[in-house]
Amino acid sequence: MNWIKGLFRHNETYLGLVIIIFGGIITIVNPAFISLDNLFSLAKSSSGTAILAVGFLLVLLTGDIDLSFPAAAISAQYIAVNTLMAINSNSLLLAFAVAVGIGLVFGAVNAFFITTFKLPALIVTLGTSNVFHGALLEFVGTKAVNTGQLPDAFKAFGRVDILSLTRPDGSEYGLSLFIGVVAIVLLVTWFVLRFTLMGRGIYAMGGDREAARRAGFNTTHIQYFIYMYVGLLAGIMGIMHISLIRYGNPNYIVDTELLRVIAAVVLGGAVITGGKGTLTGVILGVTMIVILEKNLVLLGLSSYWQQFFVGLIIVVGVAITHIQAMLRSHQKVVIVRSQ
Amino acid sequence: MTQKQANNVTLAIVFVAITGVMSIFLPDKFLTVINFQSITSQFPEYGLMALGIMLALTTGGIDLSLVSITSISGVTAALVLVQHVNWALPPVVVILIAILVALGVSVVAGLINGLLITVANVPAIIATLGTNGLFLGIAIVMTGGSGISGFPEEFLVIGNGLVLGIPVPFIIFLVVAALLGLLQNRTRLGFEMRMLGASPVVSQFSSVNNRLVLIKTHVLTALLAGIAAIIIISRVNSVRPGYGSGYLLITVLIAILGGTDPAGGFSTTLGTVIAIVLLQVLTSGLNILAFTPFFRKFIWGLLLLGVMVIHYYRRRYFQKRIIQLARDQTALSKAPHPQ
Repeated sequence: MNWIKGLFRHNETYLGLVIIIFGGIITIVNPAFISLDNLFSLAKSSSGTAILAVGFLLVLLTGDIDLSFPAAAISAQYIAVNTLMAINSNSLLLAFAVAVGIGLVFGAVNAFFITTFKLPALIVTLGTSNVFHGALLEFVGTKAVNTGQLPDAFKAFGRVDILSLTRPDGSEYGLSLFIGVVAIVLLVTWFVLRFTLMGRGIYAMGGDREAARRAGFNTTHIQYFIYMYVGLLAGIMGIMHISLIRYGNPNYIVDTELLRVIAAVVLGGAVITGGKGTLTGVILGVTMIVILEKNLVLLGLSSYWQQFFVGLIIVVGVAITHIQAMLRSHQKVVIVRSQ
Repeated sequence: MTQKQANNVTLAIVFVAITGVMSIFLPDKFLTVINFQSITSQFPEYGLMALGIMLALTTGGIDLSLVSITSISGVTAALVLVQHVNWALPPVVVILIAILVALGVSVVAGLINGLLITVANVPAIIATLGTNGLFLGIAIVMTGGSGISGFPEEFLVIGNGLVLGIPVPFIIFLVVAALLGLLQNRTRLGFEMRMLGASPVVSQFSSVNNRLVLIKTHVLTALLAGIAAIIIISRVNSVRPGYGSGYLLITVLIAILGGTDPAGGFSTTLGTVIAIVLLQVLTSGLNILAFTPFFRKFIWGLLLLGVMVIHYYRRRYFQKRIIQLARDQTALSKAPHPQ
């Protein structure tokens, strides 16, 4: 029975149980919720948030915070789409190259200010977020890209399924390619965190920055890696986002994604002081947020409550995580004393 | 010259220079009574919030929920104010009740922040990020997503009135800033805030009640946001949750520009006040020159980064000088005494 005890020491277990219970309640109200069709479409629409959340987890693991990734994502998306439209190209590869390139540059800019001048990441990214988004609106444009103008490559990318099924009435539905992208991102990130020196360095930095430095980790390189990785993921997410909704507006993502992503990561048990947090937690956190948001109306609450609940989740989530951490450290003190 | 004076003197010189340039090049637009009145009635609302952020930064934390606190206090005040038609009370009494309710709500909001940070041990960044969503959510739910307008005539004096040609918001701002200056320089709490920001461990062992100081700081910060809320809804004559979401960047920018150390431990009310006026003069300058709001966003972001970099180099200069002075001292004491 020891493994069960071990299981209950993890935040993820509790979150998983909450999701199952919540899913159960929704299924009772609306049996269509549990259908594969609905679950696939939920997964597709939350894939962008999941990718951003993975990036945010890495920053949080080092004990810092990045507020600029939504601005990076929308800049990458809008510039990539406009580039394609300007040269009349229909290459998804070029779109990804442009978007990822922009994301990497933005990440490098963040890392440059944070490492070279030893500035707090929160304030640097607050600044760069406004610089990126302000520059996008001022120098690139404010016009929306509507579905007719959008190159076909994006629309095609949004429609590709890796698994196709047929509904009883004969129409088709499937598991989007987006899930494959999320899976690859998760796999690569998991590998980096688990098996590379860089990944160990990220956790070490979150545990104690000075100790990591003295142990021989190059914290400057780690920070460049982290912020550029976040930029890269933001670029990928930008392209996925426009392929999903088939409409580009340079004001999208910026106001909506930040709070959701942070809520998801924090809900997954990542601690903002660094060093603690798992990819499983992130995925569960994203799942919880998306299910909650999409089903509030179903439970009889108007959409105005959405903001309230996301905020409440963050507050309650972090309070529980930190109180647990506090109790655990008290327990350790008691054990040491009794010995 | 100490670091403290150096910062304020630099700011004052920049302020005089910018005002001088604008007065010379735009005498008929900039140097007018109407422009003076419009400037001094615009900045008090975010000036008060900047003073609040300054307090939070001084203790080594931050308050990202400030803008949402103005939303929630503004909405509650508005809900009381629109009742003036139904209640058989003189308008002045209704206005007084509304003001008290708004301030009360802001104090409760600040208390929630403070308790989350001290009792649940959540870092200020993530605690206030969560309450930011929560408070905004409550404000949205309270209004049902729409704006509220139709306040009694007498209430509008607070935001739009003139006393001897001086806007009322400006007078309120000056009184609050003066009180805050006294608090920072002449009271125990002000000293304890700086001490806590410089080193929580040292202040703890110097018999400072860290938790109480943090709670008081966050309540004060929220109270400043509450006062700002009253000025905002009176000036605009309506309330809309989410008003002033762009103020977060500006208030942090002002606090840093005013010499506040983002790592905690140092700030001056005078420096912040000069920074507020400086920024407002710049804003109206950019307005007169017809720059877009996007360009302003871009400039503010750049300014924030630039100021942080300048602070970095100045800190290094002062550190080098201290080391140099210490070396000179030891060299003197080691030198053989002339017989």
